[in-house]
Amino acid sequence: MSTDRFSRQSFLGAYAEDLISQCTIGLIGLGGGGSHIVQQLAHIGFQRYIIYDDDVVEESNLNRLIGARTVDVPASTQKLHIAKMTIYGLQPNASVKGFACKWQENPEPLRECQIVFGCVDSYKGREELEIACRRYLMHYIDIGMDVHGKERPVIGGQVILSSPGELCMRCMGFLTDEKLATEAGLYGGAGSRPQVVWPNGVLASTAVGLAVDIVTGWTQRSLSHAYMVYDGNQATISESITLRKLKIGTCPHFLDTDVGDPILVDL
Amino acid sequence: MRIDIKLTGRLYNKIVRDLARPHPFAAERVGFVFGRVGLLADEGALILLTRYQAIPDDQYVDDLRVGARIGSKALTWAMQALYFGRATREGIFHIHMHRHKGETRMSRIDSGDIPKLMPGFQSVSNEAAHGIIILSLNHGSGWVWLPTRKEPIPADTMSVIGAPVGIFERRITK
Amino acid sequence: MEYPKEQTDELKPYCSKLSSFTEGGVTFLYLEGLRLPVGCDPQVCDGLLCPVPREGYPSRLYLLVQVKSPYTRHWNVSNARIGEKNWFAFSWKVELESPTLVQILVAHLTGFTREK
Repeated sequence: MSTDRFSRQSFLGAYAEDLISQCTIGLIGLGGGGSHIVQQLAHIGFQRYIIYDDDVVEESNLNRLIGARTVDVPASTQKLHIAKMTIYGLQPNASVKGFACKWQENPEPLRECQIVFGCVDSYKGREELEIACRRYLMHYIDIGMDVHGKERPVIGGQVILSSPGELCMRCMGFLTDEKLATEAGLYGGAGSRPQVVWPNGVLASTAVGLAVDIVTGWTQRSLSHAYMVYDGNQATISESITLRKLKIGTCPHFLDTDVGDPILVDL
Repeated sequence: MRIDIKLTGRLYNKIVRDLARPHPFAAERVGFVFGRVGLLADEGALILLTRYQAIPDDQYVDDLRVGARIGSKALTWAMQALYFGRATREGIFHIHMHRHKGETRMSRIDSGDIPKLMPGFQSVSNEAAHGIIILSLNHGSGWVWLPTRKEPIPADTMSVIGAPVGIFERRITK
Repeated sequence: MEYPKEQTDELKPYCSKLSSFTEGGVTFLYLEGLRLPVGCDPQVCDGLLCPVPREGYPSRLYLLVQVKSPYTRHWNVSNARIGEKNWFAFSWKVELESPTLVQILVAHLTGFTREK
């Protein structure tokens, strides 16, 4: 491959290309957010992917699914296939392990990753992913967007970094029992949620930027956690207020020793 | 069979800081790091390191023939820690540092002495994985004795899950 | 978190093996071979008891499979990943005053045998 390929990102460091190519990335959800992330990771030069999505392209996805085409709807193309084509189109030598199922149905491959992106659409799904990432020591980067309000729609979203040994999504005030309870009460009644391409792009780009920083260290800041809130109406992304008011120093929800396959203690 | 080792950035920094400290007479320091096993795809194993125990200065033996030798008190402590961690299948890894850059391999003395500890570790805790980790200034290698196995398996990668991430891949085949 | 031994001992007759594990700050009780009420299919199934508030319920009983029972239940948890296994649970609110663990378990099992 030509050395010109990554010449414009040389500011990331002399060894950035090697560091990026060695990293194994997990990606759960290859829809509106995940498809953006996959595209950007491939452009940057990531070579190793472990990706999951059990869905196919539908008409309603075409307003935001990066890489999807009109013909993919009647063809019922798997979103996994779209992602693979995006990756291989830019990185023909990439190693892509793709699973057209929910990650919970085949969780072992994900554990090889150093970084996992969660592009899921439920708090429960996020909680489960974070737990798996803590158990098997992986950085977890979560993105999500929402549109609420009918009279005056408000676009919101978040990008969160939750790392083993550091503050978790509960510590940062994102995951709460109230949110999980409300979501559990809506099971089956949530309906289709509004989703559009540009907030997904903002959130995905921010998330990818976090990942590149974690891998290369180019900003020289030691990222232990992050919680950024997107205001789609104001077109801003900024640190969550809950972080500024944070009084927790060490995460009480995940112990350093709670790793590996669960240990059942006989009673 | 694939074997990976992972540890957090915090733990890695703690280990490196300790191993880099000068010792009154030993040329290098030694420690013990504990870990648990997780299953990987295709029956591979993931070793997840959890905590580090430095060896106090007075538990080294002054031996000019080697970089560092630890005494029976340190080994007794290690065995006891293993014994009390049996229920949680926590294994133990002998860890030290070679002061060069790049991938490490066991020195002649390392490969002669350290593996002799493994049968003892396995007899105390036979459901855990144990082994040896050697760090360099910018890399790390591991050799893992899975439960009931007499021979070690070299780890394919060691990942430091910090910021920045460190990924140490095994390239030396011997 | 540890549960009182006298209370965990009371759970043992309901299953073939009782153990616990902690995840995300919550200690779950794993009831291997939990015996389910008559009319359930299967009759025996691994269960996971969470005796503390979770997902808007005061307590929760998860099962390794979606059990068929005499009355239709609203299974609002499907393939929830806990302790590296996938679990199912139906909507059943147990509201008792300072219950013991076995009282919680029995109240959840009653969910299979009552119409409402």
